[in-house]
Amino acid sequence: MRPYFEKMDDFGRELRDGELKRSEENVAQLKEVEADIEKKVEAVKNAGMSTEKINSRGQMTVWQRLEYLVDPGTWCPLHTLYNPEDNPEGTNNVINGIGKISGKWAVIIGFDNKVMAGAWLPGQSDNILRVTDMARRMNLPLVWLVNCSGVQLTTQEKFYANRRGSGTPFFRHADLEQLGIPVLAGIYGTNPAGGGYQGISPTILFAHKDCNIAVGGAGIVSGMAPKGEFDKEYAEGLIETTKHFKANPPGTPKVHYDETGFFRYVYEEEKGVLDGLKEYMKDMPSYNPKFFRVAEPKEPKLPVEDIYRILPFNQKKIYNFDEILARLTDNSENMEYRPDYGPEIYTGLIKIDGFLMAAIGNRQGVMPKGYPEYADYPGIGGKLYRQGLVKMNEFVTLCSRDRIPIIWFQDTSGIDVGDIAEKAELLGLGQSLIYSIQQSCVPQMLVVLRKGSAAAHYVMGGPTANDHNTFTLGTAATEIYVMHGQTAAVASYSRRLVKEKDAGNPIEPVIEQMNAMAQEYHDNSRPDFCAKYGLVDEIIPIANMRKYLIAFAGGVYQNPKSICPQNHMILPRIIKDYKTIKERAQKAEETK
Amino acid sequence: MDILAPLSGKIVGVSVSQGDAIKEDDEAFVIEAMKMETPVYSPGDGTIKEIKVKEGDDVEMDDVLAVIE
Repeated sequence: MRPYFEKMDDFGRELRDGELKRSEENVAQLKEVEADIEKKVEAVKNAGMSTEKINSRGQMTVWQRLEYLVDPGTWCPLHTLYNPEDNPEGTNNVINGIGKISGKWAVIIGFDNKVMAGAWLPGQSDNILRVTDMARRMNLPLVWLVNCSGVQLTTQEKFYANRRGSGTPFFRHADLEQLGIPVLAGIYGTNPAGGGYQGISPTILFAHKDCNIAVGGAGIVSGMAPKGEFDKEYAEGLIETTKHFKANPPGTPKVHYDETGFFRYVYEEEKGVLDGLKEYMKDMPSYNPKFFRVAEPKEPKLPVEDIYRILPFNQKKIYNFDEILARLTDNSENMEYRPDYGPEIYTGLIKIDGFLMAAIGNRQGVMPKGYPEYADYPGIGGKLYRQGLVKMNEFVTLCSRDRIPIIWFQDTSGIDVGDIAEKAELLGLGQSLIYSIQQSCVPQMLVVLRKGSAAAHYVMGGPTANDHNTFTLGTAATEIYVMHGQTAAVASYSRRLVKEKDAGNPIEPVIEQMNAMAQEYHDNSRPDFCAKYGLVDEIIPIANMRKYLIAFAGGVYQNPKSICPQNHMILPRIIKDYKTIKERAQKAEETK
Repeated sequence: MDILAPLSGKIVGVSVSQGDAIKEDDEAFVIEAMKMETPVYSPGDGTIKEIKVKEGDDVEMDDVLAVIE
């Protein structure tokens, strides 16, 4: 299949002087948002105790542990700003991402030992579930840096129980293990109760000499108020008991290495634990990348930095999606699937770091005359019409058949609406796409380049509507909402305006409410909001977009659960045949 | 050589003046339609001889927006 993949079709062109000149403001606007996000990321990194304080105790921080553990240049952080319960600590207290350890991709997660010694905080369990889902979807080892003091007692009602509460990671670890996915854990510090199960539930435990894992902690003076409430007499007694209370934490290496043998290894030094993890990662199941690569990896011919000039910050401006994709793919090459059908959607095969991937994205701008073919109105990019939906259904199904992982790029305002669109079956075709994606069983990721809106955000590989979305990234231009705030305000208040007007009442208060609603939609759809509430898994600098695509491609091809031999693939052949037929028809036309 | 409207809509931006030198692919107009702004680029190099529209004008597809010589 070398002739298909080694050299695909070139696409994209260099930016012209005029484009460079008029895009300066756009670059500044995008970079301003990125700088604001970076400030927020720094605040998360600096949450809790200082690094110096932790180091003075002879410990490394989680950030230092990650830096030592992960191969340089491979760390792709996720969920950094995820704090859906608005914890005053500014974090849900686990740090995670994808990175290479000893040359192998892994999903990596650790408790922030600077913040309340790595306590369970609200929102954390959902973060952990996202991470275990990632390990399952990518079939990658999950590597833990456990350092968990257990429940933050003052907020336990928010996360202790419930279906997605803090106990769910324990069965998720069991689930991963039953699927053959190893969970490695480096264990530090005191890990009582919930922390104890965080420690025991992984597959192989690498312990630091000063750590413990236990069903319960020793640091709590036991007892309840015998009179049913606390009074001064009780408090005085408690003071005396606490003054003389001393207990060694249970479950140290003395018990769990010498007696139970739960700890496979115990290390004197903090770095020793990490070295142990590194050593084991060398032996994790993986293919040599050459097994799956279809060509030698190549950088794009066009610079990724150009995307700052092509992707408009102004949501109303159109742009050329193909020019963005050409700056992300190896050697700026692609094989487009059915270019003459469903023009509002790009579908095609690309190479990322030498691996064959599929890409799907919204095209922008005015559609060709007569499109959509079922309507008497013109089509505009960002919307989905019948052909685009049919094409995506076909393409996803063929990718599934050929086991090609999919990268989605969204900038969509929704599916075409109205009776004409209903007659064109768009409601059914949207749901068909959800069905096609769900049955595809290939790992997928999504970049919300700009707008993720209406049902189109679901059907185009969104994390809400399928079980294969590994992670979703946003940019400085991302905004996600059910509809634009102004549209929502009109939908909510138009009848009220009529009512007030007919009653002879002033309409200004209603107008004020409409403006307030539009503003609220705006505020609650910004990139930092999307990251905080998990609508995306990370807002990334545009300059790093290809790095995440490489991590995704390398990760999903490291040890795939199901493979299709390159010489058995059907999709590249279909693309080639469409192209040949088209070229022959063009030649015949020219000859006439 | 004419700059034509690629779609129907309202002119919301005019970035050229009569007598301006213009190059191929320079942005000359912006048309708003269906809530989106579509830039209109020069089809070639030349000088703006005449501008036939102003901001706020409604235009139909293929209307002449400007003449280049």
